Amino acid sequence: MERSIQTVLVLGASGTIGSLAGGLLAQNGFRVYFLSRHTAGSLKGLERAIAQARSEVIARNIICGDYDGLLAEGCEKADWILECVAEEAAVKQAMYERIEPYRRPGTLVSSVTSSLVLEDLPKGRSSDFQKHFLSTHFYNPPGKMLACEICGQSRTDPSVVDFMADFLESRLRRVVIRVRPTAGFAGNRIAFLLFAWITELAEVYGVEKMDYLIGPYTGRIMAPLATIDLVGLDIHQAIIQSLQKHTSDFLHHKLVLPDYVRRMIEAGHLGRKAREKGGFYRRLESGKYEYIDPKTLDYIPSFQPHVRFVEEAKQLIHLGRYWEAFDTILRAEGTEADIVKQILSAYLAYSYGLVGEVTEPSVGIAGIDKVMSAGFNWAAPSVLVYMLGGREKAAKLLSGQGFEVPAALQKDTACEQYPFNAGKYFPAK
Amino acid sequence: MSSKPVYILGGYQTDFARNWARENKHISAMMREAYEGSLAVSKIEPRDIQSAFVGNFAAELYCRQGHLGAFFVDFDAVFKGLPTSRFEGACASSALAVLSAMAHIQAGWYDCIAVVGVEQMKTVSPAEGGDFLGTAAWYERESAGIEFPFPKLFGKLGDVYEERYGLDDRHLARIAAINYGNAKNNPNAQTRDWFMSYDHACQKGRYNVPITGRIKVTDCSQVTDGAVCVYLASEAFACEYAKRLGQTLETIPRIAGWGHTTAPIEFAAKIAESEGRPYVLPWTRKAVLDAYRRAGIRDCWDLDVIETHDCFTTSEYMAIDHFGLTEPGQSWKAIEEGVIEMGGRLPVNPSGGLIGCGHPVGATGARQLLDAFKQVSGTAGGYQVDGARRAATLNIGGSATTNVVFVVEA
Repeated sequence: MERSIQTVLVLGASGTIGSLAGGLLAQNGFRVYFLSRHTAGSLKGLERAIAQARSEVIARNIICGDYDGLLAEGCEKADWILECVAEEAAVKQAMYERIEPYRRPGTLVSSVTSSLVLEDLPKGRSSDFQKHFLSTHFYNPPGKMLACEICGQSRTDPSVVDFMADFLESRLRRVVIRVRPTAGFAGNRIAFLLFAWITELAEVYGVEKMDYLIGPYTGRIMAPLATIDLVGLDIHQAIIQSLQKHTSDFLHHKLVLPDYVRRMIEAGHLGRKAREKGGFYRRLESGKYEYIDPKTLDYIPSFQPHVRFVEEAKQLIHLGRYWEAFDTILRAEGTEADIVKQILSAYLAYSYGLVGEVTEPSVGIAGIDKVMSAGFNWAAPSVLVYMLGGREKAAKLLSGQGFEVPAALQKDTACEQYPFNAGKYFPAK
Repeated sequence: MSSKPVYILGGYQTDFARNWARENKHISAMMREAYEGSLAVSKIEPRDIQSAFVGNFAAELYCRQGHLGAFFVDFDAVFKGLPTSRFEGACASSALAVLSAMAHIQAGWYDCIAVVGVEQMKTVSPAEGGDFLGTAAWYERESAGIEFPFPKLFGKLGDVYEERYGLDDRHLARIAAINYGNAKNNPNAQTRDWFMSYDHACQKGRYNVPITGRIKVTDCSQVTDGAVCVYLASEAFACEYAKRLGQTLETIPRIAGWGHTTAPIEFAAKIAESEGRPYVLPWTRKAVLDAYRRAGIRDCWDLDVIETHDCFTTSEYMAIDHFGLTEPGQSWKAIEEGVIEMGGRLPVNPSGGLIGCGHPVGATGARQLLDAFKQVSGTAGGYQVDGARRAATLNIGGSATTNVVFVVEA
């Protein structure tokens, strides 16, 4: 069947991901319906899309409205319905039921979900609906984070996934990662396990110390707890709970939501969105930050951590001497060095360990490499192995930290390739 | 052209979208990444390199760091004592480094030289950066106390065209749209993920702010951090290198021709000089003709692709007629007929140019040479011009004060 996309209907266009993914489509010349419960919300989404494009001309391609007014027209005209409504199965299913009478046979329907069970979402819908249903998981903000995970469920026509992968790559400039329909897909599964682990360690060593130790110099644009603040602690909780419920693996016991994090959420310390209430960090008027004390939930001033091997590694990275920096980390001893080595090892053990479960075994580490760099701005696992001095050194590190060396790491060749432009994932901070 | 040819063995460009100040990196880290990447790409060995020539405009101002050549010796233990030099000619700094490297190779001083172009510009505010760039003009007369002097100077270039030949700003918008469009195919281009369209480039508003006169934000090249390392070699070395790679000398691109002129530094003096003459910038035209003559080519139609200096849309507009794609003052014809687009008769700036790929001032000349190398060696990837065998570059410093043209062929 000849498929083409000219018109897209975005459901949930008042939200960040709906408006920005919809904006991307408008930027690329597609006609896009921005629908949400109220037109005012859709118009707010339009403003967000304009700000992302830094151009008002994209508004010509966007039609804003609400479900009551434009749902039938949008469904009838759309070649692709992109659902970005609240991350609750019941809400999504109700929306699918609502659009089905208006949807033309053959129209693609995708959800931005990554944490719900994809198999369950289109249940009760027609066979044609289910054949054309898949997940397109955009990363936020899509203007800057190019990753898009994609997968169907058991009844999805495989040619629909192929078509969408090609469309996303060639027309929307996405870095497409084909994943298997497991909760959290690849990116969130790996990143949030590490986030959870670090929140647990922060209870012992403190927020500032953990973000200092596992800071950008270890291969990420933003430190982990600062990233949770950006995502929102409530979202973090929802993802952790979904992963706890729907996944099972050798690090499942590290998928924790410490009690102090629950108390933070109850008290409204949700991160950046909570503004003056803060999250792990709270920004002062001076522009400086305070850090929450996991024991008391009071904010405490910075104590300016200073650990010798960390400072030495950062100085080497400042000069572009990445390999020497990681050699410094590997040679370091003591509690702080053990923490850094443990987290780096966990990242590699988990990433390589999930090859075949979250992505197809035939692609090796490539899919996970792509999502971690284009979805999280983290150094890809294979790049980290290269920086550590290669497969053998990485395997030794993992063994030393009590991890089994995954088969996918043992036979990986991606980590032998010179990592062009990888320095951008290692800020000297 | 001297009877001794100079060959290009390849090189590497850093990702021009990066912000190295935000990464808290020293300018030498950028040079180091360009150098290390270039080794991996070109298969040159550190022991092959006999000298390093660094092109840079204003690291003293942007980074409080001079003497950049000295950093090169830190990149490998075998470089202890390596002779290095630094070259400055505003936006043409690294083209001057290339010219000097060629002369040293032709004189028999060295057989293989690493030419590094580098600039780190995102260390300061746009206004301060604009003031630094003003030193590429006659600062006292053209820049002191003036906000963003260069957009004003190149806006005046458009005004001169308008006065002498007529100029429709929609043609400038088309140049911007083409260059941003080309940049989308270049994985190292600064603007590869930015939105741009002809309609947006035509529009004035909060997202396309007029800077001065006819120059809007979309008419300007970018403030860019970037470095490029490219290797130049003698015939003897290129022969040995080709053998090492299992190739023949004929497959190694060479610099077939060059042109180098210096016009009066003050823009008004340039324009006064060209009054009543066909070309608005005759010294730029002379550099082009010198390069054609040395390369033994008749005119631009013997070229397959051009990488030109589009610091502003007006400078590319100027380059189109100065390269000879049209009669003087008729650049609009090449734009309207699609000549300069990918797939056109003579594509200009497949890389995206300074507007799309980015403009790390002191690195631009080396970047253009590397892109010319990629085109004629068929390694330009998504922005490859099919079958390209001969390319030209134009790198200008100041308001077309220093003009350097290369013709590269394989």
